[in-house]
Amino acid sequence: MKNRDAEIMICRCEDVTRETILKCIAEGYQTLDEIKRVTRAGMGPCQGRTCRQLIAAELSRHYGMPMEEVMMTTFRPPVKPISLGALADAYEHERTGHKHEKIV
Amino acid sequence: MKHIEVMVIGGGPAGLCAALAASSLGAKVLLVERDEIPGGQLVKQTHKFFGSEKQYAGDRGIHIGQMLLENVIAEQDIELWTDSTVLAIYEDGVVTVEHEGKHTKVKPDRLIIATGAAEKFLSFPGNDLPGVYGAGAVQTLMNVDGVKPAKRVLMVGAGNIGLIVSYQLKQAGVEIAAVIEGLPKIGGYLVHASKIQRAGIPVLTRHTILEAYGNGQVEGAIIASIDETWQPIPGTEQKIPCDAICLAVGLSPLTELAWQAGCAMAFVRELSGHVPVVDDLLESSRPGIYCAGDVSGIEEASAAMVEGRLAGLSAAFSLGYEANEAKALQQSAMEELAELRAGPMGQHIRDGINKVKLKRKIGNHAFENQTEKSGIVKDYSSDATNTCRAEIKTSLINDGIPTKEELDAIYPSDKRLTEGPIAIVECFQEIPCNPCVKACKRGAISMLRDINDVPVVDEELCNGCGLCISLCPGLAIFVVDKSYSGDMALIKLPFEYVPVPKSGHFVAGLDRAGRELGRFEVVRVTSGGDKNKTFTVSLAVPHDLVMEVRGIRIGEQAI
Repeated sequence: MKNRDAEIMICRCEDVTRETILKCIAEGYQTLDEIKRVTRAGMGPCQGRTCRQLIAAELSRHYGMPMEEVMMTTFRPPVKPISLGALADAYEHERTGHKHEKIV
Repeated sequence: MKHIEVMVIGGGPAGLCAALAASSLGAKVLLVERDEIPGGQLVKQTHKFFGSEKQYAGDRGIHIGQMLLENVIAEQDIELWTDSTVLAIYEDGVVTVEHEGKHTKVKPDRLIIATGAAEKFLSFPGNDLPGVYGAGAVQTLMNVDGVKPAKRVLMVGAGNIGLIVSYQLKQAGVEIAAVIEGLPKIGGYLVHASKIQRAGIPVLTRHTILEAYGNGQVEGAIIASIDETWQPIPGTEQKIPCDAICLAVGLSPLTELAWQAGCAMAFVRELSGHVPVVDDLLESSRPGIYCAGDVSGIEEASAAMVEGRLAGLSAAFSLGYEANEAKALQQSAMEELAELRAGPMGQHIRDGINKVKLKRKIGNHAFENQTEKSGIVKDYSSDATNTCRAEIKTSLINDGIPTKEELDAIYPSDKRLTEGPIAIVECFQEIPCNPCVKACKRGAISMLRDINDVPVVDEELCNGCGLCISLCPGLAIFVVDKSYSGDMALIKLPFEYVPVPKSGHFVAGLDRAGRELGRFEVVRVTSGGDKNKTFTVSLAVPHDLVMEVRGIRIGEQAI
């Protein structure tokens, strides 16, 4: 059967196909974190909610390890994208006690 | 920085109930919800809920959500932030929230994580074509935004979500090509499967999707039968033309915040992935952080509501509120959970919870102390294991259509049938649900032990009034009247589509597989009321078909 992995989308946010994921695994990458750093899979707006389990399943299959043993990625703040403006505003507010005038 | 006694993250069924419970004991609560309107999945659940009265069984999800939200708004001790997303939980217990476009810090004394779940995705060629949706997304489009999502849909997954969304698509006038399921059995409640089968929607178990095809958008799918090892069987491929594919292949707990907070986590397949390890009172390994609802294991919304209540009580109790009252309330919440999980459908949840318990014993000493502290000794989940009952093993589990033997076993005696109208409850699976028992004013419908038993009709007490028809959440009750006339018998059916037929209309009568048996006269139509919205349609059919006709079709629409 024709290899159609290039037509299977794993990470929709960052456009990473199954072909790319399997290539990573063939090259010896063993963890979600490694694959994330190499491909950006899981670093888009949904922060891996769609692809994390699919990549974990590929790793589980390839290395013959149960899903229980597939190491999860590190979950860092923030869990969703936030504008730098909101962060800067909060910083300014905390530092001076005043709300920073928004520069439009 | 804002200080609050109890902060609840997520305004779904668990979060709303957590906020209400904590405030009912006197705690000051902040409830943070990402969406504009709290309610979580309840805002689109137009079907009636199962469970018991305590979990608002028989009410539609949307109404339950509205009621809970009204109670939250009316409660002065609950501050509600909508359109606000929690961004992080830090080591020092500070929680950051994007609230009104600002990065805001909150320091709660107790934290309840009720973030719910996200839909799982599948990998197959063409899975990013426009038209491939999560079933939940389609339900939102239809029931929240009022958009008809497609003309013809292939549903992948026969769990409750796949079955319920198929039914609601049908109600919205969308054709369902089929519901396919990889497992050898239907995973959702069989009454949901029966409901769509009699509307002519086939449910195909042991089938998978091989690919989605189409030029720029979904034009169809190729499906195939699979063998025991989940491999497609060559030669069984079928082309299914459709303009949307709905994936209802399970949910993943949304646990990012629990990970960040440093809660001990465990991968438990039965609970659908990584979940925070919690104790009987739903406190995580991080003292003061509680988890409730789908985030700590995928279950029905009725269980999420009770878990939310339990977590809210536990959080407020640990702050010193209503020490005496709280224990009894916690106890009854735990009993409700045990009851909801006691049947065969709750087996995997019980197994999952037992695995979590095991992790808790070997993993973290803090848990032992906490459980002791709670003063609740009785182990409800192992109680539930003892009451495990029979699973369905006939073809009913594959297609949702009861066998002749199963039907014969529940039919009233021939003598009783000829005497006058009587209710026939076509409910064969032990699921936690009992509105029919409450519906019957004559006490003719009963259950042996608890809400997981199948209902039994007392043929002497039942007078065939039909009140139960529109109150059964599974639309599984019918009334048969063989005394109607010499030539004709009467069948009364539940009905939830538009247009509603009128008496005098002739409609197609359908059997349990959705096959047309003839055209019959509608004799009477009664409304279940503005809130209930289920109609009861009485149809005059020949005597020999009264045990066969279980659905109707008006015009093109199979119902």
